[in-house]
Formats: sequence, structure tokens, C-alpha cells
Amino acid sequence: MFDWKLALETIGMIIYATFMGFIFMGIERKAMARIQRRVGPPIYQPLIDTLKLLGKKESISHGFIYDFGPVFALGASIAALLFIPIANFQLFSSNADLIVVAYLLEVPMLGIMLGAMSSGNPYSAVGVQRGLLTMVAMQLPYGLALIALIQYWGTFKLSNIVALQQIHGWSITVPALFLAFIVFDIVFQAMLGLEPFDIITAPAEISMGPMVEYGGKHAALLFTQHAVQLFAETAFFAVLFLGGASNLLELLIKQIAVLFIAIFVASIYPRFTIDQAAKFFWKWPTILGIIAVILTMGW
Amino acid sequence: MNDTLIIMGMLFAPLIAGFLAWAFDFKVIRELIGIVGSILPLGILAWYYPTVIAPTFKGITASINAGGFNLIFQLSRLSWYFAVIASLVGVAMAFGMASTSKNAYEWLFALMSYTGVLGVFLSGDFVSFFLFWELMTFASFMMVLKRNKHESLKYFVLSVIGAYAMLIAIGIIYAKTGALDFATVSNALSMDAMLGGISKGLTALIFLLFLTAFGVKAGAVPLHVWAPGAYSEVDQSYTAFFSGALSKAGAYGFLLLYILMGYKLYTALGIWHNHMVFAYIMAWIGAITVVVAGFLAVLQEDIRKLFAYSSVSQVGYILLGFGIGSTLGFAGALFHVLSHAIFKGLFWLVIAALILRTGKTRFEDFGGLAEKMPITFAMSLIAVLSLTGIPPMAGFASKWLLYEAAIQAHMPLIAGAIFLGSGLAFAYVVRFLYAVWFGQRPSDLENVKEAPLPLIIGMAILAIPNLVFGIAPGLVTKYLNRILGNSVGGDYFKLITPTGTYNALLVTVVLILGLAIAGLIFLYGAKVRKVPVTDTYQSGNPVTEDYNLSIRRNFYRPLAEALDFWLKYSWDRFYERLGGIAEDFADWLREGFYNGNVQSYAWYLAIILLILALWGVL
Repeated sequence: MFDWKLALETIGMIIYATFMGFIFMGIERKAMARIQRRVGPPIYQPLIDTLKLLGKKESISHGFIYDFGPVFALGASIAALLFIPIANFQLFSSNADLIVVAYLLEVPMLGIMLGAMSSGNPYSAVGVQRGLLTMVAMQLPYGLALIALIQYWGTFKLSNIVALQQIHGWSITVPALFLAFIVFDIVFQAMLGLEPFDIITAPAEISMGPMVEYGGKHAALLFTQHAVQLFAETAFFAVLFLGGASNLLELLIKQIAVLFIAIFVASIYPRFTIDQAAKFFWKWPTILGIIAVILTMGW
Repeated sequence: MNDTLIIMGMLFAPLIAGFLAWAFDFKVIRELIGIVGSILPLGILAWYYPTVIAPTFKGITASINAGGFNLIFQLSRLSWYFAVIASLVGVAMAFGMASTSKNAYEWLFALMSYTGVLGVFLSGDFVSFFLFWELMTFASFMMVLKRNKHESLKYFVLSVIGAYAMLIAIGIIYAKTGALDFATVSNALSMDAMLGGISKGLTALIFLLFLTAFGVKAGAVPLHVWAPGAYSEVDQSYTAFFSGALSKAGAYGFLLLYILMGYKLYTALGIWHNHMVFAYIMAWIGAITVVVAGFLAVLQEDIRKLFAYSSVSQVGYILLGFGIGSTLGFAGALFHVLSHAIFKGLFWLVIAALILRTGKTRFEDFGGLAEKMPITFAMSLIAVLSLTGIPPMAGFASKWLLYEAAIQAHMPLIAGAIFLGSGLAFAYVVRFLYAVWFGQRPSDLENVKEAPLPLIIGMAILAIPNLVFGIAPGLVTKYLNRILGNSVGGDYFKLITPTGTYNALLVTVVLILGLAIAGLIFLYGAKVRKVPVTDTYQSGNPVTEDYNLSIRRNFYRPLAEALDFWLKYSWDRFYERLGGIAEDFADWLREGFYNGNVQSYAWYLAIILLILALWGVL
């Protein structure tokens, strides 16, 4: 009755995703540093940072919700990860579809927000406000990109979308879906919290926003959450637009490609203010998204 | 037993209880009578459940003769579904009111509107439908009138417009078909769809009139203007029912439109790009309602106004679902009727508790209450998770069905509105969480106590279904399949549509697994020292108790700045200007004609006599 293979795959995938997520964070820092002509930290730096944070003897807490927020965020990130078909591992993906995964990928945000709000720090509050407004702003183009994709492939199931792409070619080779891809990539920048949409954390303005109060093991949990989320989101991107992957190496190459686009964009552009970001999202990405959905309607 | 008697008993139990509570206006007796009167309908409906789900069930009809009209009441599967939702919220309302309302007047009219809502759902002809519709409107109007005259007038005027529209529409239908009971009207109109006896224009007119009538009650944009005021200005426990059940009467009306004249509307108004035109109009009304009311909810500064706009926005989802027109769309919308009733009812009871214990309504006066009212906070967290559609909650299951339906029906922009609407929902509930429960506590809230027991019971009655129907959405969809045919496949825990799948139990299990892993890291980590909220990082500035650092006012100011172009336009101001113009015009008429001059009165008489003479009357 008990599916040992699935259980092992699940455990293995969680460990692999966490590790690779940390490496992605390292790559992000290193590449950014190289673009800015700095040496940059070694790519395993985020991992040892997190281990150091876990090793701290004492961490402070502002109450139950403050503790629960990071736990909830990490838990939800892991859940989201397990519903994405990763390379040749299906995991639980046959039991949930694109909408469920898209929602699960947003749940960690709520966890972080809950924890940040309960800390009572005004920087956190500003971060929460900015985070939610970014989400409101990006939701429409994000939704339109997903709708275009679903309409074109005619299914919500991620595993079917991958299978169809392996027969008919990647999503981005379809002109209408290429538009959706552009929209999704812009939104992706905001999902990862990179420039020009790093409004939420904005280190120079509001000292990391929601994360400002966190230290010790709470911060370690949030770092781990970020790593898992980074892995899950890049895998989600690869599954939707880059034809998925048949093995982990292929997936890794696609994930790193996606990551590098994000890093290059991030290192060129300065930060938007929040109302600029909202106006931007409701203009070009939305228009492109609408064109994409109309082209995929099949009238 | 006699079905007629039981159904009548169910229908009038709240009303009778309301009168008794009003007559025996003593402390505990009043509340007990009210609670018993509100539980009776739920009990009777539950007792009918085995009958209703039996495969041979054809509907129970009860009719009484009153004043020359034969009033028909019908318990069908659909009306059972709506009635049971209304009575569930009704019971929660009664428990809530036992804590918040010490007033016999409120008990009377709250329970009267309960009867009205049940009557609307159960009636089988236009006469009883209209009578109970008016009873419901009247009772809820009296509830608003008690607290705020201006808002009640707004509600009254729009309701009267709706009522007249409905009356005219019913009149036209009666003139054309000669029948008032739903079965005959439905038959006659679908026959007429083939014959074309009723012209296209007239059909469109009937549609428009019904759209106005039901749109007012459902609070569809642009007829929503009464809702924020009316929802705010009543006892908040009653708002749980007002927004959770009474607004569903409007949604039920839209569904009735399908049942009675769906085919006629389809043939008369035609199709546009594979969408039935009349349904497409409904879908767009719903989508616009979702987005406009969502944005307005985000920008509110008053806790009651925020959730009033949120209610309007959520009912928009229901209209949108009906407008999609596929069976999946109906399943999603009907599911959302349930989930909106339970999560929004829960929200209003939470607000009732907050207002009862603090006496404040504006966000800037709240803060840090999570420690003082932990149970209420937990309840509000359940409601928040359900409203934002976090997966193992009832709110997600219904929203998921709506997404699937909208995208399958090739309505991408409508589906886009759902995406935007849920982003907005996220924003406004988190604002509520932050401002009320977290941050520094104002010093005058130090002695706030937990909500009283009856109110907590009321909240629990609504919180439990949020979890149960979230983890086992199949419980609802299986019942809906009995109404709609096989729209959603799967078992109790898993929903399957032709293109997608959602296994609620598995999502719950995996989420718990993830939480367990994260929790283990947390538990085996370093020990935790608790510090107060004032002990925070402030770039070197010392934080003192006398300066409150929480941001509670204008929380979403940047959004208002991004939207300033759109916020210049307001339906409220438009109607007020319209009202002003009407008033000026009436003044001008009155002053012009009733000028107190006897000679001009004589002239009026002469002119009228002349007109009559020319017409050939004299």
C-alpha cells in the first residue's frame, strides 16, 4: 500500500531542491558581482550563511505568529515544489493542476507577511504593503500569461503540458505563447523579487522589508524557504515554457538559463517605485497578455 | 406527515419566533426563542436531506390559498441547497445576535428577513416570490433604518427601483403567458422560443428589468452603492446574514432567470463568438463587480466598509460563474454561494466581536489584539485563508472551479478578472490582519476581553464548514451533480474536470508534511527568547511606548496614487448628483405650478378640461 518509491523520491527531491536552490542564490550573487566588476562571494556562501544562522545559540521572537510565519512559508514552498513535475519525477503532480500550483506558489508570501506583520516593525509593515501591491499589480499580466498557455494547450495539467510540448515543440516556439513568455518573464522578475521589482525588500530603503526583524533560526528558515521557492519557480517556468525536461541535468540547464535572464535584467535596471510598478504592469505586460490570450482563443 | 404543514412550519418558524421574541422581551427568553426559531429550519432541512438526495426525488410542492392567489412553495434540490446555506448562516447569526443585540426590535426584523429569504428560495410562483422578496427587503430596510436613516434611504430607493423593475417584468410575462407559477411560465417561454411570440425587444426588456431587480439585491456594479452603507449600519451579527444569505437571493434570481427563460433569451438574443449573449452580459457584470469592488475594498479605512465592498466583490464571482453558462460554471458559482456564505459570515461575526469588545470601527484605532482575543483571531485566520483561496479551504475549491470553467469556456478576460480579484482579496484581508491583530496596541485597548461564548459558537458553526468542505469538496460537488448532471467528477476529496484535477486531501497532507519538516527545523533550532513588539530594529533610534509605529492609516496610499485617474469617477457621486438633479427638478416643478396663485390654478383646470374635451372624453 505504502509507496516507498514515491516517498524516497519526495525526500530526495526536497534535499536536492534545497541544495540547488542555495546554489542558485550563490550563482545570483556571484554573477551580479561579476557584472559589477566585483569578485563576489563563493557560490556556496548562502549555504554556509544559513548553517551559521542555524547554529546561533538564541533567537528572539515576537510571539506565536512570528514563529509560525516562516514555518508556514517553508512548508508551503515545499508543498508547491512537490506538485510540480520535476524532470522525470512526477511526484504528486498528477493530483494537482496549474491553478493549484500557481496558488501554492503564492502561499509562502502569506506566511512571510504574517510573520513580518506580527513583528511590529514599521519597515516590515512597509515591506508587506509593497509586497501586496506588487502582487496586485502583477496578478493581471501573470494570469493572462497562464490563461494563454492553458488555452493553447487545452489542459490545466502540468504533466500534460510537458508531454504536449515534447510532441509539438516548446511553448516559446509558438508566436502567441512567445508573447505570453515575455509577459511571464517580466512578472517572473517580480516573483523572484529582483530589480526592477525588488520593491519588497529594497535593502537601501527599508532594510530588507519583511525580513528586517528576523535573525537566527527564523532567518535560516526564511533563507531555506527562498532557496526552495527559487528552485520551484524556475522549474515551474521551465515546465510551462521551455518544454520541461527528461532528466535533472536538462532541467538544471534550463533553470540556470532562466535564472541568468533574470540576473541580467536585474543588474541593468534600477528599482521602480510601487506606483510606477503598478502603472507599468497594467500597461505593456497587460496589453501583450491580452494579445496573447486573443491569439490563443482559436476563433 | 403532511409536507405542506412542515414546509410552512419551516418557512414561518423564524418569523413567529421573531414576534415571540419581540413580545416576550426578557433577557434570556428573547435570545432562546430567537435561537430555537432559527435552528428549526436548519433541522427540518437536514431531516429532508435523505428525501432530497434520493434518486427518485421530484420535488415537494406545497400550496396554500391566500387572498385569491394560490401560493406555491417548492422544495427542489436547488432550493434545498440555497435554503440550507441561508439557514446555516441564520443559525450563526442568531448565536451572534445573542451576544451583540439586546434589542427586541432587531430580533424581530432579523428573523423576519430570515423567513423572507427562505420564502424567496422556496417559492414556486411569482406571487409568493415577490411577496417574500418584499418581506426580506422590508425587514432588512428596518434593520438599517434603526441605525442610520441616510443609508437606509439609499437602500430603500434602490430596492424600490428593483422591486418596480421586477413587478413590471412579472406583469409582462403574465400578460404574454397568462401564468404566474414557475413551471408553467418556464414551459410557455421555452415553447415561445420556438414560436417567437414575444418579440426580441420585449425579451431584452424583460431581461434588463430582471437584471436590475436582482442586480440591486446582489449588489452588482453599478447598482452596488447601497451595500457598503447598509452592511455597515446594522448590528454586525445581522450583517453576517445580510451579506452571507440575503445577497444570495439576488444570485438565486439570476439562476431563476436561466431556469425560467434561459432558452428564450438564448434564441432571442443569439450568440456572439460561441457565447450566449445574455449570459455573456452577466459574466461581464460579474467580472466588473469583482474588480471594481475589489479595488474599492483595498482602499477603505473602515473595517465594516472594507468587508462590505469585499462582499460585493465576492458576489461578483457568483454572477460571473452563472454567466459562464457551462455546467462547470454553475457548479463553481453554486459552490461559491456556499463558500462565500461561510467565510464572509465568519468575517462579519469576527467584526461583530471586535466592535462589541472595543467599540471601534476604524483601522487606525485597532492594533495588537491577537494576544487579547486569540480565539477570535484564529477564526479570522480561517476566514482569511478561505477568502484568499489558500488550497485546503472551501474558498479555494470554489474559486478553482470558476477558474477552470472560465478558461474552458474561452473567456480569458473574465478569467483574468478572477486573477486580479484574488490578488486584491489578498491585499485587503492582509491589511485587515495587520491593522487589527498585529503591531503595537493602543493603550485604550489594554483591557479588551475575548468574545463572549454565544458569538464564539456562532463563529465555530461557520468556521467548521470552511475546513470540512475545503478538505472534502466532493461533499458539495456530489450534491451539485445531482442538480446539474455530472459536471465535476472525482470522489469526496478529489475534483476532476475534463481538463484539470485538484486533490484537496493530498494537498492538505503534503502541506502538513511541509509544515512538519519546517517545524522540525524550527523545534530543533536554537531556543527562543520572547521580546515585546516595541523592541525592534529602528536603525539606531530608540523606540518608546508613547509613539505608535504601526502603519494603520492610508496603508495602501501608493495604490490610490496609481489609480488616481480612475478614482475621480465614482458611482456614489454620480447617483448623488442624479438625486440632486431630480430634487432640483421637483422643486422647480413645485414652485412653478403650486405658486399659490388662484388664477393660475383656474388656468390649469381650464387647460385640463380643454384637453379632455379635445380627447373626446367630455
